[in-house]
Amino acid sequence: MATIEELSPVSVRPPEDEIDDDEDEDLDETLTERLWGLTEMFPDTVRSAAEVSAVCSVSLAKKIYSFSRAALWVGTTSFMILVLPVVFETERLQLEQQQLQQQRQILLGPNTGMSAGMPGMMPPAPGKI
Amino acid sequence: MGSVLAASSPNPPPPATGGTAASGLTVPPGFGMPSVSPVISPTGAALGQQETENPLPNPGAFDECHRKCKEVFPMQMEGVRLVVNKGLSNHFQVNHNVMLSTMGDSTYRFGATYVGSKQTGPAELFPVMVGDMDNSGSLNAQIIHQITKRIRSKVAFQTQQNKFVNWQGDAEFRGEDFTATVTLGNPDVLVGSGIVVTHYLQSITPALALGGELVYHHRPGEEGTVMSFVGRYTGNNYIATLTLGSAGAHASYYHKANDQLQVGVELEASSRMQDTSVSFGYQLDMPKANLLFKGSIDSNWVVGATLEKKLLPLPLSLVLCTFLNHSKNKFQCGFGATIG
Repeated sequence: MATIEELSPVSVRPPEDEIDDDEDEDLDETLTERLWGLTEMFPDTVRSAAEVSAVCSVSLAKKIYSFSRAALWVGTTSFMILVLPVVFETERLQLEQQQLQQQRQILLGPNTGMSAGMPGMMPPAPGKI
Repeated sequence: MGSVLAASSPNPPPPATGGTAASGLTVPPGFGMPSVSPVISPTGAALGQQETENPLPNPGAFDECHRKCKEVFPMQMEGVRLVVNKGLSNHFQVNHNVMLSTMGDSTYRFGATYVGSKQTGPAELFPVMVGDMDNSGSLNAQIIHQITKRIRSKVAFQTQQNKFVNWQGDAEFRGEDFTATVTLGNPDVLVGSGIVVTHYLQSITPALALGGELVYHHRPGEEGTVMSFVGRYTGNNYIATLTLGSAGAHASYYHKANDQLQVGVELEASSRMQDTSVSFGYQLDMPKANLLFKGSIDSNWVVGATLEKKLLPLPLSLVLCTFLNHSKNKFQCGFGATIG
């Protein structure tokens, strides 16, 4: 009889305590579980469509990322092999020609054009003897 | 000395083909044939006897059909290579080749070229004898001689150490507007085996040349023939060639864009290996910078380039070569110096 008396305050609850007990039980759920539970309000088609599109966009993003990595590597190394030496050499040639032209200008006076030094033109006489 | 160098400036040796009967014969693999320039076409020779149009030019050698396009592509090499060419006289030239290699053995090759005194053209002297020997004793030798005004013949040997691997002879007849070649390869009377290759190339119009190739091989117990047809069309700055045969198809297009840039596109389809490949190559020639640059890109994801630079006051030229295979992620680079 003592056991029965002890159990009675546990088994019989007043109605207003149920709400408190429900909240105590809810505190065991994490935040994500509660948010996930909110999605249950959408119909099934919307939920499945959203899930499919989310998965697809994640995989698409991964593919785009890996493709752009590979493409960047292939593009850079191919450019380095195919185009870079020619660029270096043409720039060097241009620089050399420019230097030569500058030297020619200094030597033969500022009126010398691009043509290779006219034979009649004499270098300016030195200023000081 | 000039005539020796002109008659025997070697083409870069063709990449070693896998011993196919049709293509590996006329140029022994791993051995560059000295470039003998094509005979000057006999235009205007007999205008009065021909029909109203100009006589058709000689179409050139059969093997040269795809050559112009192939020359645009860079040659793959790896390791370090040193070549010393020395001309000893007007007729005789000697070259030393040291090749240090990262995959494979390092070798030293000694080669000699002798050019005779029978002159048939501005830069052609016959007979031409070219030979080279390896440090392990492998010999490659070729003798080319112009027997009559129209017939040129060639005999070639190749040994691997002391065993003869390749021995062949051929005769080429250049008619007014056609070229016919017969090649006899590895004839072995004791065993009864051999390969006979006949080529025929005919000019149909001044721009179009058609021809065919017939390969007949015989071994005790089996024999077979392989046939293929060749068509070549020459425009004013392009050459398009097509080869169709039972072994596959090979099409090439060569375009000369301007003085500096030449472009080649090649398509190869092999029925034996069931695969096709397309390659695009270009050659940039800047004589002012003493630079020759060749690049190529392939459908097998292979990118390669060769840079050749002459360091002019010295008779020295440098070659840098890189090849990158993106699909297998393999990289190969080579460096070479040529003296003389």
